[in-house]
Amino acid sequence: MSGSKAEPVFERPVPVLGRSAMVALIVTAILMVAWESWVRSEGVTPAYRNSDGQWTEQRRRINNGAGDGWVFTGSSRALFNMQLSIWERLDNRRPLQLALEGTAPVKVMESLADDDNFTGKLLVGVAPGLFFSGYEYRRSALDRYPQESPTQWFGHKVSVLFEPYLAFYNYDFAFPTILRRQPLPARDGVVVDLDVRKLSNMERDRNTRLWDKLVYDEEYRELAKKIWAQNWTPLAELPPPVQEKLLESRQKQLDRATAATRKLQAKGAEVIFVQMPYEGHYAVSEIDIAPRDLTWDVLLEQTGALGLHFQDHEEMQGYYLPEWSHMTAEDADRFTEAFYGLVQRELAAHEAVGGNP
Amino acid sequence: MLFNSLTFVVFFIIVLLLHNAPFSWRIKKTNLLIGSYIFYAAWNPPFVILLWLSTVVDWFVANKLYLETRQARRRMLLFVSILVNLGMLSYFKYGGFILENFQALMASIGIDYRAPDWNIVLQVGISFYTFQTMAYSLDVYLKRAAPAKSFLDFALFVTFFPQLVAGPIVRPTQLIPQFKLPKVATRQQLTWGFALITLGLFNKIVIADGLLSQAAEKVFGASEMLHPLDAWLGTLAFAGQIFCDFAGYSTTAIGVALCLGFSLPDNFRFPYAAVGFSDFWRRWHISLSSWLRDYLYIPLGGNRKGNLRTYANLMTTMMLGGLWHGASWTFVVWGALHGGFLALERWLAKHFGGGTFWKRWGPRFVLALITYFLVNITWVFFRAQDFATAWRMIDTMLTFNMDGKKVLPMIDVLLVTGVTVVMLAIHWFMRNRYLHDVAAATPRWLLAGAWGLMLWLIIISQGQSSAFIYFQF
Repeated sequence: MSGSKAEPVFERPVPVLGRSAMVALIVTAILMVAWESWVRSEGVTPAYRNSDGQWTEQRRRINNGAGDGWVFTGSSRALFNMQLSIWERLDNRRPLQLALEGTAPVKVMESLADDDNFTGKLLVGVAPGLFFSGYEYRRSALDRYPQESPTQWFGHKVSVLFEPYLAFYNYDFAFPTILRRQPLPARDGVVVDLDVRKLSNMERDRNTRLWDKLVYDEEYRELAKKIWAQNWTPLAELPPPVQEKLLESRQKQLDRATAATRKLQAKGAEVIFVQMPYEGHYAVSEIDIAPRDLTWDVLLEQTGALGLHFQDHEEMQGYYLPEWSHMTAEDADRFTEAFYGLVQRELAAHEAVGGNP
Repeated sequence: MLFNSLTFVVFFIIVLLLHNAPFSWRIKKTNLLIGSYIFYAAWNPPFVILLWLSTVVDWFVANKLYLETRQARRRMLLFVSILVNLGMLSYFKYGGFILENFQALMASIGIDYRAPDWNIVLQVGISFYTFQTMAYSLDVYLKRAAPAKSFLDFALFVTFFPQLVAGPIVRPTQLIPQFKLPKVATRQQLTWGFALITLGLFNKIVIADGLLSQAAEKVFGASEMLHPLDAWLGTLAFAGQIFCDFAGYSTTAIGVALCLGFSLPDNFRFPYAAVGFSDFWRRWHISLSSWLRDYLYIPLGGNRKGNLRTYANLMTTMMLGGLWHGASWTFVVWGALHGGFLALERWLAKHFGGGTFWKRWGPRFVLALITYFLVNITWVFFRAQDFATAWRMIDTMLTFNMDGKKVLPMIDVLLVTGVTVVMLAIHWFMRNRYLHDVAAATPRWLLAGAWGLMLWLIIISQGQSSAFIYFQF
């Protein structure tokens, strides 16, 4: 603004700090080296972050020519157990990995059903407790795809430059996360849910392998099991309004999944549902919340889609699940190879009897 | 883009390099203007159009106003500026709120009016830049200043990226003159600028997001009556969170501007050490409170038209200030409470404020604690998503009903208590001091150590680039 009526221009007082900035940087560098060393001593190796940006990037590939191939979705079992390199070796084409841990995949199915760029084959992992409850732990990733801002897009591109070199750059080792898992006396009447710990390592295109710490570190493995089983209550013992809500969600999820599958089938896309192996606590809890005859069987009947349940196929049995839910990296390789053969065979048989409705 | 994002780190490095490159001052200012548009467009590119609209309208209005002598024409020109700025603000921010209330009003007189869905995306920072541009036209209208001579300077004033989306709301007289002459930060300014950026980001990423946000979310997200300890801790957590979030943004903005050689005014001065509400508003969101004082409270008559009118003006100003924060009646109540406390303080000071008793340390400390207590009560209305939640919270906080549910784990009890005690101690210590003076007087090894520690905690906190709370206002 001009003119003599303007007040004097404010100039911020500035202290003389000498070489403080340089010393501060040295302090930070020393602390960072110590921190990175500690994280690596915990068995962590640098890997790509399982970020919303990473998922969005893969989802976007469908619009860039990858929409006519295999796409995997589902929850963590589909994410950890399906090995893209093995599938690529057998199929001559690398599939897309769109599974999200702790998240029902129905919204992904709906998104692909509405996307003209997708005409390929969709493998949908069904973790009953998630699929039929509609729980979406990674809802933020699902929301990000249609509305990713330029700054989010660019931030992801910068982040992936660092991710493969820094072990500490990992959600499970963020300072507030570490603070929150310190063993403290519980407050009377407060139900504490322990956060799920690091379970896997991710590659650039979201190919994911179970962290080997779960194999060699018994204490860590037991902790993972404890977290899966914490605060679980059988459906029948839940308060009636909660039971009612869960049953409503089950029906809603069935309806949504059926509608999305039919839409996908109508445009020529193939949909294959798969239930991967689980045991221990999950052998009880999955069936409790989503009995097979009331959920899985209904889903297949309503959609006419091919469904592969681990209880029905030898190729899907006999794998080591250290924490009841996910295969070791080596077993995931074996599983993917065996499963690929099974899928091809079952698809051919399915098509022979009429295929999609 | 957000200050706490990798995108901003890259952006700021490029801006700094260009600003220190051997270009003419005009080219450097153009770089800053383009950079500011990129900064804003990085959220949603089409929003830049409204920024341009606000810029162009106020540029032409102010120039015409300055030359115009006929009062009626001057009023009309000012009306155009206010219409465009408040019109945009109303449409994007208050459209849904107005429709909802209109629907409720119609229903109350038996008319079944169904408002259409109002799916308008709120523009980031619209409340800030519309107030900033309005101040420009108002200053020219009130003959407090002449318009800028350069359109580039004015456009940069409206758009200057460090303070574009969440303030400080800078007056034209504070910033436009700084664009006249070439400015590059000195080494000392650059160092202090980076120190302020570190402090601001530490407040936001480590304290607000890392240590306090979860407790506030758990408590204000609960749908049942809570235990009084949980209700109080959740409220204290929010008090700390909103301060560290907003003051963190302002401090970062001031630091970023200083790295480029520009001085932005303070927006916070350790408000939780305030003795009374008038003191609080001289320390909290200073740029907004002074804007409301100069462009609303004083034009309404301020304290020049008798006691009753003064109280009414205070209430009006603070209620509108509350509404500025968000399109909800809970914000209006928050503003009304502040207006009420300001009026009460004024009345008490007039009748009981004489003598030296209230100037002693002890009574002032007690008054500061009472102020902090009442400020926390007001935060309940600010944070609660509806009145049901707010009343439930207030009920348990004031009646100490011990039957309520406990939701906070021990870690939150410790974090909120620890952060609150340390924060209050710092605010009280800094009450009559300036940060730059304290920094200058601190031993270098201690300052460097604390700086390095904060930087390390920022990095290992791995912030999720969460938006600043005030971006929604």
